[in-house]
Amino acid sequence: MSSADEYSDDDAGYYDEDDDEMLVDDDGSASEMELDPMNDFHEGSSRRKIYEIDYESLSQADVERQMKSEVEYITSIFGVTVDVASLLLRHFDWNKEKLIEKYMDNATTVSVAAGITPPEKAPKRPAASGGRLHSSSELSRESLIGPRRSSRRVASAATKSSKSKLLERATPPRQDEPFVCPICFDDTQTEFMSLVCDHKYCKGCWGAYIESKVKTEAESWISCMAEDCDVVATDTFVQQVLGEDKGTWGRFQELLVRHYVSHRPELKYCPYPSCTYTVSCSISRASLATQVPIVTCGNGATHKFCFGCNVDSDHRPVICPVAKMWLQKCHDDSETANWIKSNTKECSKCQSTIEKNGGCNHMTCKKCKYEFCWVCMGPWSEHGTSWYNCNRYDEKASKDARDAQSRSRASLERYLHYYNRWANHEQSKKLSVELYAKTEKKMEEMQITSELSWIEVQFMKKAVDEVIKCRTTLMWTYAMAYYLEFGNEKELFEDNQRDLERAVEDLSELIESPLDPEVIKTLRQKVTDRTVYVTKRNEIVLEDTARGFLEGRWTWNSPVAGLD
Amino acid sequence: MDARLRRVNKEIADCKNDKSSNIDIDLVDNSPFHLIGSFDGPEGTPYEGGHFEVDIVIPDSYPFQPVKMKFITKIYHPNVSSASGAICLDILKDAWSPVLTLKSTLISLQSLLCSPEPRDPQDAEVAKHYMTSKSSFEETARYWTEIYAGGPGKAGKGKASGPRDEIAMAGLDSAHVQQFQSLGFEKSKVIDVLRRMNYRGANVANINDDRVVEEMLKP
Ligand SMILES: [Zn+2]
Ligand SMILES: [Zn+2]
Ligand SMILES: [Zn+2]
Ligand SMILES: [Zn+2]
Ligand SMILES: [Zn+2]
Ligand SMILES: [Zn+2]
Repeated sequence: MSSADEYSDDDAGYYDEDDDEMLVDDDGSASEMELDPMNDFHEGSSRRKIYEIDYESLSQADVERQMKSEVEYITSIFGVTVDVASLLLRHFDWNKEKLIEKYMDNATTVSVAAGITPPEKAPKRPAASGGRLHSSSELSRESLIGPRRSSRRVASAATKSSKSKLLERATPPRQDEPFVCPICFDDTQTEFMSLVCDHKYCKGCWGAYIESKVKTEAESWISCMAEDCDVVATDTFVQQVLGEDKGTWGRFQELLVRHYVSHRPELKYCPYPSCTYTVSCSISRASLATQVPIVTCGNGATHKFCFGCNVDSDHRPVICPVAKMWLQKCHDDSETANWIKSNTKECSKCQSTIEKNGGCNHMTCKKCKYEFCWVCMGPWSEHGTSWYNCNRYDEKASKDARDAQSRSRASLERYLHYYNRWANHEQSKKLSVELYAKTEKKMEEMQITSELSWIEVQFMKKAVDEVIKCRTTLMWTYAMAYYLEFGNEKELFEDNQRDLERAVEDLSELIESPLDPEVIKTLRQKVTDRTVYVTKRNEIVLEDTARGFLEGRWTWNSPVAGLD
Repeated sequence: MDARLRRVNKEIADCKNDKSSNIDIDLVDNSPFHLIGSFDGPEGTPYEGGHFEVDIVIPDSYPFQPVKMKFITKIYHPNVSSASGAICLDILKDAWSPVLTLKSTLISLQSLLCSPEPRDPQDAEVAKHYMTSKSSFEETARYWTEIYAGGPGKAGKGKASGPRDEIAMAGLDSAHVQQFQSLGFEKSKVIDVLRRMNYRGANVANINDDRVVEEMLKP
């Protein structure tokens, strides 16, 4: 790899040949202020960029407040308790309108279905109709723990012999015996609880049952422990049972919030592990044809995800339907393309094996010193000039193809061109974990060998952050370019892509080059300048693509599902 | 004492004391959390006369999560995997209730033998057989009971005393098997293909012989 110094002489030409969109300060230097990582994180819409959308991050408490106001609305119109209103809303998946309609129609049926009242307790039915045991004195161990008619299958199917056996075994209740929990048989238990159905069990068993539902099954709809009893535990009951078990209670509340959020189209739960934040965004389905709703939850700047689809990262500049199509294609063709992902390749001059261990694509063969591009395997010398063409696929080959066989070969080659570059940026991003560690070491080194303070060496980390961010953009530009119809618009798109890619590769190479204590100050200025430049180039790609979507400038070379 | 241990010990003791249900629960090793349950095949079913063993594993969160059960004895039944013994029964999954016991669950399994649910199958091939021809299915189930569960069967007539009849095991007609064997295919291959294609009873008319041959030619 080349050292930092090699770059000083071509700096001028490199920046000057660029178009009128030159955004770096005239003297070519940038202040540290512009590298503030918070620069690209806007809350207010006033500073919103064209490729950003309006959204709001909500904490669990914020969502709970929303839920509470829905519950209060139901309590006020039906005159029911908070617990009942909550069960009703949960039963109707928080669809207020449907709940109101059905409840007005038949409150009894709804209450039974929502687990609020057991069928035999519902009004307008003979009091003695149920076959259940009601008071605790009637409960007998035998009758509860013994074989019972169970489940649709057995209930309908029990043979004569086994059915009669079941009935014989139900011994008459013994009035004077102390109540023993029919689940644990622990006669030292003194605290018993039941839901409105009066199925009594000890508090310990209730606690273990609720914990297992909540923690093992991630279930917040917890029905009574009695067989075939559909009465559901209210929030108050769950809280009473759990008492000091704050962990399970907290998880239960989180499950309630998740259930609510999952039924609200304008809300989405943060997909990052153990994060409890929600994002609120009112983008319409139709807008997904022109906008990419990338959001960040309020819990951390790294919790970035797409509100419009299931991609757990930034997929700008490409819109959701096209991103989805591309991922599906990569999935379907994963075997064909697997070889690309390998970390080793052969030098095209001397055939010795070369391993990639950083993000930089400028490779130098250890044996023959041949300098080449990791992506296209072409000589690196061409990449530093305005002839840089590594990002572009020559459509000529596929156009010239006459017979079916060469057409299919050309189409595979075309796909591999884009996939190769996509996968390479993705891989370079992954190698960044390593790069972070290396950079950290380098920053420590710098502090020792130069008089720079810890704050002053942060420019290295900022550069790495920016490189990773831009590689994400670059990845998705290849997905976009694969589907873009050949023509002027695509040419312009690929010009922007090329400029960003060159800038990223340059910065990437610079931060991975060996450290020379003599020139740290110069290096610092250079890295800082190029980081600003890369940021601007990234901005240009994102902005221009977003504008293109709004103007309807992009046409696709194959039909995109979900677009009209 | 550990609540789970107390509960399981009580269940085992209750089962031992109760002679009327004819359900047995035995320890596999010294742990009360790995057991073997057993019962007789219900009268008036193809499983009559057989004795069936069930592997029982008590999970850590028992009885709040369902007990894990599978047949050890091989059994021909739409809701039991003929290969692994895995069982499809609602109370072993989401219809489980902590008030259910090992004994009541085993009784439910016994009842399942009386009334298969082929529309919710564990073993799709067996279920197809059941739906196509109940009498042929029952014949095969009876044969399995005889071979694996110690059922009475035709052993007295000398038929099963020799090697196992693979054609009867697969619930096929020996004339059908011979028909394709005569084309030069191996017996085991013919049995495998005909079983998978449900070449039985009224279904035979729906299957083109060329398709059968095509299937047999596949590697
Ligand atoms: Zn208890
Ligand atoms: Zn109940
Ligand atoms: Zn988050
Ligand atoms: Zn998306
Ligand atoms: Zn070489
Ligand atoms: Zn290249």
